[in-house]
Amino acid sequence: MMHADSLISRAKDGDQNAQGKVVQLWYKRIYNFSYKFFLDHDLAMEVSQKTFISMCKNLTSLQDNARFKSWLYKIAVNYCREEARKKKTSRSLSFDVVWNRDAEDSPQWESTSQRFDNPERQLQHQELSEVLQEALLELNDEQREVVIMKEYEGLKFREIAEVLNISENTVKSRMYYGLDGLRKILEKKNINKETIGYGI
Amino acid sequence: MGYKASEQDLIAYLYGELEGIEKESMEQYLREHAEAREELEKLRQVRTTLSHVQDKEVIAPPIFLGDTGQRFFGSIPYFKTIVSIAASLLIVLMAAKLSGLQVRFADRQMVISFSGGDQIKAIEDKTPVPSITSAEVNELIHSALDENNQALKTSWTETQIKLDASITNNLAANSARIDNLVRESSAASQEQIRQFVAGMQAENMQLVKNYFQLSSNEQKEYVESLLVDFAKYLQQQRNDDLQVVQTQLKSLQQNTDVLKQETEQILTSIISTVGNSTSIGVKN
Repeated sequence: MMHADSLISRAKDGDQNAQGKVVQLWYKRIYNFSYKFFLDHDLAMEVSQKTFISMCKNLTSLQDNARFKSWLYKIAVNYCREEARKKKTSRSLSFDVVWNRDAEDSPQWESTSQRFDNPERQLQHQELSEVLQEALLELNDEQREVVIMKEYEGLKFREIAEVLNISENTVKSRMYYGLDGLRKILEKKNINKETIGYGI
Repeated sequence: MGYKASEQDLIAYLYGELEGIEKESMEQYLREHAEAREELEKLRQVRTTLSHVQDKEVIAPPIFLGDTGQRFFGSIPYFKTIVSIAASLLIVLMAAKLSGLQVRFADRQMVISFSGGDQIKAIEDKTPVPSITSAEVNELIHSALDENNQALKTSWTETQIKLDASITNNLAANSARIDNLVRESSAASQEQIRQFVAGMQAENMQLVKNYFQLSSNEQKEYVESLLVDFAKYLQQQRNDDLQVVQTQLKSLQQNTDVLKQETEQILTSIISTVGNSTSIGVKN
């Protein structure tokens, strides 16, 4: 995903139209990052909205437009951590846990780009996707945020280090142990090349 | 030689973030070390598996921001708290002013008053300072104690006399009453006891009579029923014995019959075999 420098410059100048376009451009990425972090739609929406409200308010403090991506993810990571803290302290049961939203919503393939794909195959894809995200949730927060940013958001190790305010080597270390941990979790869940090949 | 790939290098190579000499060294290292190749392959497989996670589609909601120009004081952190503390202090000061509150600390005493501090002060000023010597004080105390002792003594003697009189009166009255009561009760009780004992004896006699009557009747009935039962039992036993003897006799008779038949059969068979053998012998 690319962003135009001029768009960010205009947004920084207070052009609400440009700000809206930036939100449109980045919303899906931030939502998916938060969703993978929590595996919870409501929390992901909460974090995304807070991130973009904060972005619009504080865009003027961004000095280097080239660092917009890491700056934006920094805000998102901070909100994710805040929500995770809240979630740990409050033991309330989310309504989504009680109400199976997926069972009532229309199937996923209707809204995805692969809507013309074979529905059965699409469902298998979806199930695998969910299992993998559950595996991701078993990692600790530090490893999970690095794995998501690297694997799904395509940030460079340098950018992740900037987002998390840690050294590049620490990021690589977390990534290594994150992937290694995932390998073990997937082995435990009996997900490997063969089972995926059979299923899909 | 000497290059050893770290976990960080391996990860950087996996994601294509090694360049130049570092990349070449890593490739060389991988060519030489099978276990590193294996490790890399494992990590690559995890990546391939992870690539199956789909992104969720989401529509960005409109984000409205209020007029940022209006947030001067309200946005300062703790502004509300500071303002509210200041307001409450102001209210307290106003209330103190209106009620004429005065707080003073003088001559090792703290005076808090509501517009009446001067009067208290005036009253305090007017109190005269007594000037009596210690001897006079002692004398006063002694005289007061003597008077008190005298009064106590007189009251004690009076009360003692009264108490003695009332005790003697009470004793006399009570002893007379008790004597009367005892006499009455003893007279009455002898008569009553006689009557009671006589009644008891009569009742007891009646009870014993009834009891014996009843028990003798019951015993008679019981013995009769026992005799009848025993007779019935004997009859039954005799019948049973007779039946047993009869059946045994029958069986004995049957046995003898069977035995008779068997001996007859044996005899006939012996006779026939003997007859046959003699006839064969004759023939021969």
